[in-house]
Amino acid sequence: MRTSLQKKTRIYMAVGFSLLAVILVAFVISLTHLYVYDPNSTNAAAKLLPPSSDHLFGTDNLGRDVFARCMEASKYTLLVSFCGVFIAFVLGTLLGMPAGYFGGITDKFIMLISNSVMCFPGILLALVAVAVFGPSLFNVVWALGLVFAPTFARVYRTGVIGLSSKEYILHAKVLKVNPMRIMLLHIFPNLVPQLLPAVVIGLANMTLFESGMSYLGLGVQPPHASYGKMLADAQSYMTMAPWLIVFPALLLVIYVLGLYFLSEAARLSFGGERR
Amino acid sequence: MNIAEIRNLSMSIYSGKGVPALILDDLNFHIREGEILGLIGNSGSGKSMTAMTIAGLLPESAQVTSGSIEIDGKDVLKLSAGERRKLLGEEIGMIFQDPMTALDPLETVGKNLDEILRIRNIPKEERKSRIISMLETVGFIEPERIYRSYPHQISGGQRQRVLIAGAALLKPKLLIADEPTSSLDTVTTVSILKLLKDICIEMHMTILFISHDLSVVNNFCDRVMVMKDGKIIDSDNTEDILHNPKNAFTAELLTKAKLDPRSLGLEFSEVDPSGSPVLKVMDIATAYRDGFFGRQRAKNTIEGISFDLYPGEVMGLIGSSGCGKTTLAKTICGLLKPTGGNIDHCSGKVGVVFQDPVSCLNPMHTIRWHLNEPLVAAGIKLTKEEREKKILEAIKAVGLEEKHLSRYPGRLSGGQRQRAAIAMCLILEPSVMIADEPFSSLDASSAASILKLLSKINRERKTSILLISHNLRVVRTMCRRVLVMSRGHVVEEGMTEEVLKSPKASATKALIDAERQLS
Repeated sequence: MRTSLQKKTRIYMAVGFSLLAVILVAFVISLTHLYVYDPNSTNAAAKLLPPSSDHLFGTDNLGRDVFARCMEASKYTLLVSFCGVFIAFVLGTLLGMPAGYFGGITDKFIMLISNSVMCFPGILLALVAVAVFGPSLFNVVWALGLVFAPTFARVYRTGVIGLSSKEYILHAKVLKVNPMRIMLLHIFPNLVPQLLPAVVIGLANMTLFESGMSYLGLGVQPPHASYGKMLADAQSYMTMAPWLIVFPALLLVIYVLGLYFLSEAARLSFGGERR
Repeated sequence: MNIAEIRNLSMSIYSGKGVPALILDDLNFHIREGEILGLIGNSGSGKSMTAMTIAGLLPESAQVTSGSIEIDGKDVLKLSAGERRKLLGEEIGMIFQDPMTALDPLETVGKNLDEILRIRNIPKEERKSRIISMLETVGFIEPERIYRSYPHQISGGQRQRVLIAGAALLKPKLLIADEPTSSLDTVTTVSILKLLKDICIEMHMTILFISHDLSVVNNFCDRVMVMKDGKIIDSDNTEDILHNPKNAFTAELLTKAKLDPRSLGLEFSEVDPSGSPVLKVMDIATAYRDGFFGRQRAKNTIEGISFDLYPGEVMGLIGSSGCGKTTLAKTICGLLKPTGGNIDHCSGKVGVVFQDPVSCLNPMHTIRWHLNEPLVAAGIKLTKEEREKKILEAIKAVGLEEKHLSRYPGRLSGGQRQRAAIAMCLILEPSVMIADEPFSSLDASSAASILKLLSKINRERKTSILLISHNLRVVRTMCRRVLVMSRGHVVEEGMTEEVLKSPKASATKALIDAERQLS
């Protein structure tokens, strides 16, 4: 009975934190255009103001409203992480599925490429790509997408190999079902339980990567706001205006933690087979 | 003296909000010291759950609602978790059905068994000598080699022996064997049963033997209980159960287990051996690819196999596990490329039914989708109505109903899934059906009804069937001709009756010997 209680607590925590993250995201997106302050308009008369009813999260060294900037940062973070994961997912599907399905030399070749990408630290590769092609939002997105693709390819390959020995896949092969159709209609639905958590974890990791790159100045470019950039800028005012660090960092942590729990929830809810 | 007393035991499984399902209904029985007690029943009758309840290995959702289980005078249900764990292993040993998954593949057999003794703080030297002597007891000639082997390096039967050794290491008083022979071929089954019996006598152990197969209890069990719907409906000594059953259900099980063609009403299609064959296999050989880039070829798994199959003929393919039966089936239906020889399908289609009713259907799609898929794959263009008509026809031909079409495989029983798989095969109207052990994981009742279905298909549609089995009884009942395989070669072929009456090859003799010992 004890294990069942633990499982329940885990589900409640998972659902709770995921809800928190979702609410946060919805709140941020819906309010961006309604909020009174523009995230990029400076105000020399309102520099480094502490949080108050006028400025909920206070203002920064240029008098910009931190709350408005947090909202804008969330917007870019979501944009980068969703687009990046989408690219990674599509690439991963294109690489991992045939590798697992056909095996042999196809598999060896594809996994050689994907493993070579995986041996470099991801952030380093993304940094090099952005350094070469110039820092822009577009470059960050595709670079991160490329870096994350092998992770998805691996999830796919393992799943496909596991399923290939199942008799229903063998039967489909006997019936001479088109390999594309086998992969998309016979195999893919059975991989959703493994893929969904991987996608959500991918979103969380992508968010952290994007923040890291923005922190180093290679991500979202000024004057647009991003969590990494805001944290980097706030460093010099840490003692004078701690709210500059506390609020963006807190939001980032809640968002990423929420995603991790969401992936846990996805994993738990896909426990059994379909009935 | 009774080693275990089970009184008024009821158990229910709670699932979601629904009413709890009553799995065990007021069981009352005892196990005498030193006996082998058989517990027989169809799948879903609650026999495994009875064992799990006694061993205290129930899933979380299950709850004992009443009754008591006394082992050696202690009520197991009142013990704490720790005391129970101690009981399991020292007083109760267990062997499960699947020897593949019960051993850790990354550790040697010795390490796997060592674990059992290590957690009980027995010194290292003693552990090894005890394991070696136990491996000797369970019939290994070179216990030292087995000790060092990894699970994948030994055969299924050897693995089951290792598990028996593991269960017997702590010399438990009661050994629960849950379908220990269901995944083994006849020859191995006989040897495992003999081993269990020897151990029972030598080590003064009591065995609770669970099986869906009534044919294994003869010459093995002292008493037999028959379970149905969570109740024990019959209990008697083996002799009386087998030859003089008092309960109607037991009698029915017995008839079904015998697979007698007359009592089942089996009738097969006429065969015209002078006509042109529907399947010609000429001197084929197959090897599995191996090595880096898959270039190196391993030794041929099967070699030099030739036969013809005539319209309406049912041909048996027998042999012990690992002899290449399934490889041959896979080669014929095109899953493996032959390295030599030729397969001529003679312009007909080949359908295939596999062994495992669990993985034969895709869990994410409905039965309707499964039946539609062969039509799509074959590129048959049909209007929506024609398609639906064809699907309905196929599902009715295998004895399922329209309501089953919208269900997912998870909501069907093993027998129903196997039927759906046959329907999938039938919808393309194949001229040859390859059935790879279609009954081996089904209980007697489902097996008999699938057998009936196959004979009906054969009779009504003139479909030729290549039936792969290690069950001689099924082959004798169904097949006109039989091929016997051993180590990748066909060692004997001919009319079933002649081959089984006067076998020439040693492989055939071994199979017949094993069958004789079982019945």
